Amino acid sequence: MSYHVSSFGDFRCAHCNNHISAAHMLSGVNNRNHCPYCLWSRHLDLYLAGDRLSACKGQMKPVGLTMKKSRNKYQIKPRGELMLIHECVECGGLSINRIAADDDPDSVMEVFCASQSLGNQIRTKCKGQGIMVLTDTEIVSDQIYGWHVKVPAVSCT
Amino acid sequence: MNINDKDDTGVVFRKTLGHYTVCVNGRELDCVLSSLLHKKLIYPTADPASLPHKVQAVREIEHVDPIAIGDRVRFTDAGQNRGMITEILPRLSKLSRPATVPGQRVFEQVIVSNADLVIPVFAAANPPPKWGLLDRYLVTAEAAELPVLIVITKLDLANGNHKLNEDLEIYHRIGYPIHKVSSATGEGIEELKQILQGKMSVLIGKSGVGKTSLLNAIQPGLGLRVKEVSKGELGKGRHTTTYFEMFRLNSGGTIVDTPGMREFGLWNISPDELAYLFPEMANHIGQCRFGMSCHHDSEPGCAIRKTVMDGGISPHRYKSYMNLRREL
Repeated sequence: MSYHVSSFGDFRCAHCNNHISAAHMLSGVNNRNHCPYCLWSRHLDLYLAGDRLSACKGQMKPVGLTMKKSRNKYQIKPRGELMLIHECVECGGLSINRIAADDDPDSVMEVFCASQSLGNQIRTKCKGQGIMVLTDTEIVSDQIYGWHVKVPAVSCT
Repeated sequence: MNINDKDDTGVVFRKTLGHYTVCVNGRELDCVLSSLLHKKLIYPTADPASLPHKVQAVREIEHVDPIAIGDRVRFTDAGQNRGMITEILPRLSKLSRPATVPGQRVFEQVIVSNADLVIPVFAAANPPPKWGLLDRYLVTAEAAELPVLIVITKLDLANGNHKLNEDLEIYHRIGYPIHKVSSATGEGIEELKQILQGKMSVLIGKSGVGKTSLLNAIQPGLGLRVKEVSKGELGKGRHTTTYFEMFRLNSGGTIVDTPGMREFGLWNISPDELAYLFPEMANHIGQCRFGMSCHHDSEPGCAIRKTVMDGGISPHRYKSYMNLRREL
């Protein structure tokens, strides 16, 4: 028997065509804006997450990962939250988005590996907006699979 | 509007359940609706499949009144300041919204007819302005081809609110006139009186924005009942004015006070004509890659979306457009 949670804001991914539920109980985020399978997003927000004020509506490609600093001083290493960096294929705008609970971890790792060969132009653009592209495999692996879980060493080669 | 009529025609100034106050040459008559007129008005709601000359069932319209404030009507004088309305004269304009009766079809509710000026009223604070609601009022006024004056009340509570001025600048750039007043301090009231002179204006806005207080300030002596907004976290207005009424202004003209309207749907507007009712978008219609077929949503080469991204149209107004389009 299939179990489908329907909610306001459900959508079909414009990139991989999968049906995506925006239910909070599945994703753990309030503003579901990227596909958990292919991690592509849409350029919908302009000033704040969830404001839905952007008229661009272009597809956004996941180009890398970054770390949002956390104020939680009791958090065990690394202190922060892993975020996806998206680049709009229409207008070139950048945005960072929380990784949702149901995002495919292997796809996240693939994005990380691909980001190691990012061009200088996009790296400079990220730097200009204060977004640091992650390069440390251990940090990413710890964040995705848990630091106390023994997983096979991840290689991007 | 000329409200000095012949002896058998007048203007509806006030209505309560089944009773209409009709003014004719300074005289007020308490009128009822003739059953003949009532039947004619509700005839179209009969089953369209019924025999053409034989209405099989006539359903009563319970919640929507066929007569609106500002209607010019013909009546029969029954003496002792009483009468019966026998005909509604053609309307020059009407401001409508849908009235939903649970379990029944949606009816048209004419808020006011024959008005010259629509005045959406918003408070600078307490309750905070909802610009999406203002966009609904503006679209409705544009559809009725009526001029608009945006009035911001409770200016004394604004305290140099820069966000308010930034938001109002969006409407100022489109070309909508804006007038700021304070009923408490009297700031801006005299100028507003000048603007209202000789016109039939209608105040619309949600509960607690100060429509009736504004009316009391424009015309001291009316002594209309007002209440403070609730003191809870929500700070919502409390429904104080419960019926529509038109008042003659000493400075000339008339003004209609309305109950607070928290919900304001669009009546008889098709999705394709919606963009025409946003004046800043109207110039770009037809310039999209898909021409007149463009919905201005996510179609490639949309001229309106491009203008939004270039800063020519406010993203907030574009979002309102999309929200309204989804509703239609």
